[in-house]
Amino acid sequence: MEAASVPSPAAHDDHDHGPPVANQSSRVNSEVLGMLLFIISEIMLFGAFFTAYFFIRVVSKDAWPPGDGLPVAIAAINTAILLSSSVTMHWTDVSAKRDNQLAMKVGIVTTFLLGLTFLFIQINEYLNIGFTPETSASASVFFGLTGLHGAHVVIGLLLLWMSTVRIFKGKVGPDHHRGLEVPGIYWHFVDAMWIVVFTTVYIL
Amino acid sequence: MTAKLRQAGWYRALAFTILGVAVCLGLSTGLRAAFDVTPVYDGESVLQISLLMVPLFFLGGIGCFDYWLRWASGRKVVDDHADHGAKSWRDYFKVNTDHKVIGIQYICVSFFFMFMGGLMAMIVRAELAAPGRQFIDPNTFNGAFSVHATLMIFLFVIPIFAGIANYVLPLMIGAPDMAFPRLNALSFWMLPVAGVMMMLSFLAPGGSFAAGWTAYAPLSVDAPIGQAFFTIAVQFAGASSIATALNFLVTIITMRAPGMTFFRMPLLVWANFSTSLLVVIATPFVAASQFMVLLDRALGFNFFNAAGGGDVLMYQHVFWFYSHPAVYIMMLPGFGIISEVIATRARKPIFGYRMMAFSLLAIVVLGFTVWAHHMFVSGMSNWIRIPMMVTTAIIAVPTGIKIFSWIATLWRGVLKMDTPMLWALGFISMFTVGGISGVMLAMVPLDIHVSDTYFIVAHIHYVLFGGSLFTIFAGIYFWFPKMTGRMFNERLGKIHFWLTFVFFNITFLPMHLIGVQGMPRRVSDYAEEFATWNAIISVASFVVGLSSLIFLYNMIVSWRSGPKAPSNPWNSLTIEWQVSSPPPIFNFDAIPSVVGGPYEYGVPGAVHAVLKDSTPEPVTAGAGSGAERSA
Amino acid sequence: MTGETHRGAVTAKTWLALIVIMIIASVVGIVIVLLLPWFPEQGSTVAPKIDTFWDVLIVVSVPVFVAVTTMVLFSVWRWRQRPGEEDLDGPPIHGSTKLEVIWTIVPTVIIAALTTYAVILLVDIEAAPAKQTRVVQVNGAQFAWDFATPTDAGIVKSNRLYLPINEPVKFNIRSKDVIHSFWVPAFRLKVDAVPGITTSYAITPTKLGTFDIVCAELCGLGHAYMRQTVTVLSQARYQAVMAGIAKSSGVGAATLPGSST
Ligand code: HEA
Ligand code: HEA
Ligand code: CUA
Ligand SMILES: [Cu+2]
Repeated sequence: MEAASVPSPAAHDDHDHGPPVANQSSRVNSEVLGMLLFIISEIMLFGAFFTAYFFIRVVSKDAWPPGDGLPVAIAAINTAILLSSSVTMHWTDVSAKRDNQLAMKVGIVTTFLLGLTFLFIQINEYLNIGFTPETSASASVFFGLTGLHGAHVVIGLLLLWMSTVRIFKGKVGPDHHRGLEVPGIYWHFVDAMWIVVFTTVYIL
Repeated sequence: MTAKLRQAGWYRALAFTILGVAVCLGLSTGLRAAFDVTPVYDGESVLQISLLMVPLFFLGGIGCFDYWLRWASGRKVVDDHADHGAKSWRDYFKVNTDHKVIGIQYICVSFFFMFMGGLMAMIVRAELAAPGRQFIDPNTFNGAFSVHATLMIFLFVIPIFAGIANYVLPLMIGAPDMAFPRLNALSFWMLPVAGVMMMLSFLAPGGSFAAGWTAYAPLSVDAPIGQAFFTIAVQFAGASSIATALNFLVTIITMRAPGMTFFRMPLLVWANFSTSLLVVIATPFVAASQFMVLLDRALGFNFFNAAGGGDVLMYQHVFWFYSHPAVYIMMLPGFGIISEVIATRARKPIFGYRMMAFSLLAIVVLGFTVWAHHMFVSGMSNWIRIPMMVTTAIIAVPTGIKIFSWIATLWRGVLKMDTPMLWALGFISMFTVGGISGVMLAMVPLDIHVSDTYFIVAHIHYVLFGGSLFTIFAGIYFWFPKMTGRMFNERLGKIHFWLTFVFFNITFLPMHLIGVQGMPRRVSDYAEEFATWNAIISVASFVVGLSSLIFLYNMIVSWRSGPKAPSNPWNSLTIEWQVSSPPPIFNFDAIPSVVGGPYEYGVPGAVHAVLKDSTPEPVTAGAGSGAERSA
Repeated sequence: MTGETHRGAVTAKTWLALIVIMIIASVVGIVIVLLLPWFPEQGSTVAPKIDTFWDVLIVVSVPVFVAVTTMVLFSVWRWRQRPGEEDLDGPPIHGSTKLEVIWTIVPTVIIAALTTYAVILLVDIEAAPAKQTRVVQVNGAQFAWDFATPTDAGIVKSNRLYLPINEPVKFNIRSKDVIHSFWVPAFRLKVDAVPGITTSYAITPTKLGTFDIVCAELCGLGHAYMRQTVTVLSQARYQAVMAGIAKSSGVGAATLPGSST
């Protein structure tokens, strides 16, 4: 019986040493991989709302844009703000790897504030846009897509807040910067996704 | 210990839950006051906000977030493994990071909801035993089958597969745990939340959600508040399965033991890899579809309001883009289980291992190209039907490859006809029936006639009961000794199988006939001509129900007082059987190293993995393994 | 070692026996299944075609199921573990490209054939009827259908559907509230009634008599009770009945009680 030729099972032992260190079977870091996969999920979530956009605007031809014209100019400025936050985020990352604590602090705070500004402008736009989700299906799609993105900005800001706290407590440096890198990846995704939302909703 | 209890646990969970309700009440009234909506207090608004937020308070209270919050606030985090492993049964009711404990938690909770869902089915069958109204009104009936299906799908089949994999998968690939143990715990605790929410919907004014598990808009938008319980519970169930899927993928990609190449992985690992891909890509769509319904319901959005320019069919496209892949999410892990059981019990290598792996991936890819086969009569634009019919029918090919490879694995083997094997073989022939009826449904001209009839109900149960559920039983019996360290009662197991097998067929086979004859599904009353068959079906279904009690009895009694199980009762080669039953708290003293394929039965002296005996510093594992691989 | 007899490879003779068994089982199975009273009466030109298609599907499917099940049962009968074989293993066969190719191709061919048939049939049953068709407006509402039929006397509204035999008729289906599904089992066709859009299909009744109309899409409380009837009449009777309804109510008005217009 060949199974017998397998060494007898490791004896059950309860003396408290921790788990054995897992074998790293891939070059990719697990936190980063996890975040990337999560982002795929997120993209699909937006995909579903873009499906709604497609069916309502293209298939059942509901009047687009909702209301009388969208404030493209403001949205464009807002886009610029969000993009610059990506730049500062990257800068923060770099300074973390260079262990430049001051630059890190400045970088993360500006990134956070830029994100916050984006959110405020967005909310302000909602209040003055002149129509509500009840108005029409197109309006629902508008609020659906921008709102979904807004929610992701909020999540992104929460993650950035964690990184900020940890940076100010001096917990982030060249050899332990996952706590910054991973939220960073998410933040870049939120920005990239905005480009898509902006072009489809405001420009096309 | 007690101090810890005061920190995180049921008391705190209760306190937080109450707090949560208060907060939501404040939030709702506050907001309504701010935007001067009258009346300021609105029950439904409070309820909906609570359904969304109170679970988070509960999860916080039970202790799912403690570690992360400590980490986020930059405080020192020491992982003393205090919440790892179960020392008494009490530990199973706490947040635990041990994949083995979580696996058991998953399985038990899933079976609890299986029995609840089954009870609903019994109610449905009792009402349908004779034409006319027996004892429940149409609304309760619609609620009964909606909750039945929803529990069976979202709280039983999907999570229990995650549970079984949770337990055995890390062991199989030689990992000490999952990649993200705390995320794993969170995924589990979201389940009871979702399940309880669904069952609570019966208490809601206007009754439980009653729009079927498909919850088509606009019916689900106009439905009473009970529908919100479905809409929101699905969010938690969905979040749970996405989190688990991420966890599986990362674990499989980054934590395989040295020497465990992709083509040395047991097929159960391959199956869960494929399933997780499906979950990560598809599940956001069901979340979105329910978000939209919620927005339409709660905030007067117009996504599905034709009058407001909305698109009713869009719901079905978004829903089925998830829910067709979902049916493979409910089948692929079962395929994995069957491969393990058959290889071990037939004492032969899996026939065409690589094709088995590739056919899984083929099903994953094809699975995303067929959703509209649920919409052949939905009134969508006609041209979509033919491409979807073709892709749908093609799925028969990779699936056929699997069926035939299993048979070829049996061929000339030494078949040990014990309980797990019986379920596995029963699966092969029952799933074939369901699959074939599926191919018939793919044929548009026929589907136009039988769509939304009992023919569909028959298909559903041959693939989900004869398919998924049979594999689940096979797997539970197969790994029971490993999970509990005790053997189950073989005789009861066999009785359970034969009773279920026979009466399952008596229950669901006639449904094909009455379906084609013209009995629509989802009806609490039907034409006289179907009376006889429905009576027979109902009686048979009760026996199926009772037979599941034999299973329950066998599991409970064997777990408490069954004979002790050896570490490898089935002489299996895969790694989980090379450690003690149940496995040590951290699975291995040192990471094993893999030196061959997982199913080399009949090859003299074949070894899949070499386990090292206790070595304090595991670093040597990596080093030593290098040697073994070259050897 | 015990069982040298049954452990060997399968001989040609056994194979022959197996194949014979499969053929017999398939034939028996097909006959039994085809003898079952599957379909309701054939009320339209489409019905016979669908029913034939079904027979073909059965003839293809039963052998597939028989093949799979016979192989499994044979393996169990021939190679189940006998006493004394507890430590015995099967031969380490890892696969066979030839076989794998075969069982990839065969199903593919079957599928290709069935799909082709289905496409041809679909085009056939949905081909627009040659001569000018009568268009009946079908309105779904929770929980009743009502119909608007153009006649020489003008639009006749009723909640009971009348059709002249052997004359093509097109249904334009709408819904007032949620999704319903307009299904006459005897005609074999159905399509959902979807709020916001008009769906349609055309049939030609071929049988006099009264048939059920069934709502086949869950539409709420009354879904189970959303059952009405369609009566197929000879041309002459049809004209008379329609005229009658028109007179009794004045064209365009609702007629039979319960009509939801
Ligand atoms: C585990 C779940 C599961 C699985 C695996 C499947 C598998 C399949 N299903 Fe099923 N299906 C459901 C669960 C599942 N289904 C559910 C729940 C519904 C109803 C949803 C609702 O409305 O509530 C549904 C509904 C459904 C419909 C919609 C019917 C309607 O509403 O009008 C269709 C139509 O095409 C379909 C087709 C198929 C096909 C072609 C397969 C194929 O994957 C099957 C492939 C397998 C085989 C074919 C057998 C093995 C193969 C061989 C032995 C090779 C030789 C075979 C041939 C050559 C034919 N299914
Ligand atoms: C994994 C999935 C799964 C499983 C296991 C089952 C199991 C069963 N199903 Fe379910 N069913 C679905 C998935 C499933 N079903 C789906 C997706 C639908 C479509 C819903 C929709 O249209 O939206 C459906 C719909 C459905 C219908 C059609 C409803 C309708 O359209 O009107 C019916 C009717 O007979 C039915 C019956 C049963 C029965 C008798 C069982 C039995 O096998 C259950 C047996 C198990 C038990 C009974 C365990 C509990 C036992 C006890 C609690 C002990 C007490 C026992 C007694 C009182 C006798 N199911
Ligand atoms: Cu109308 Cu069901
Ligand atoms: Cu499907």
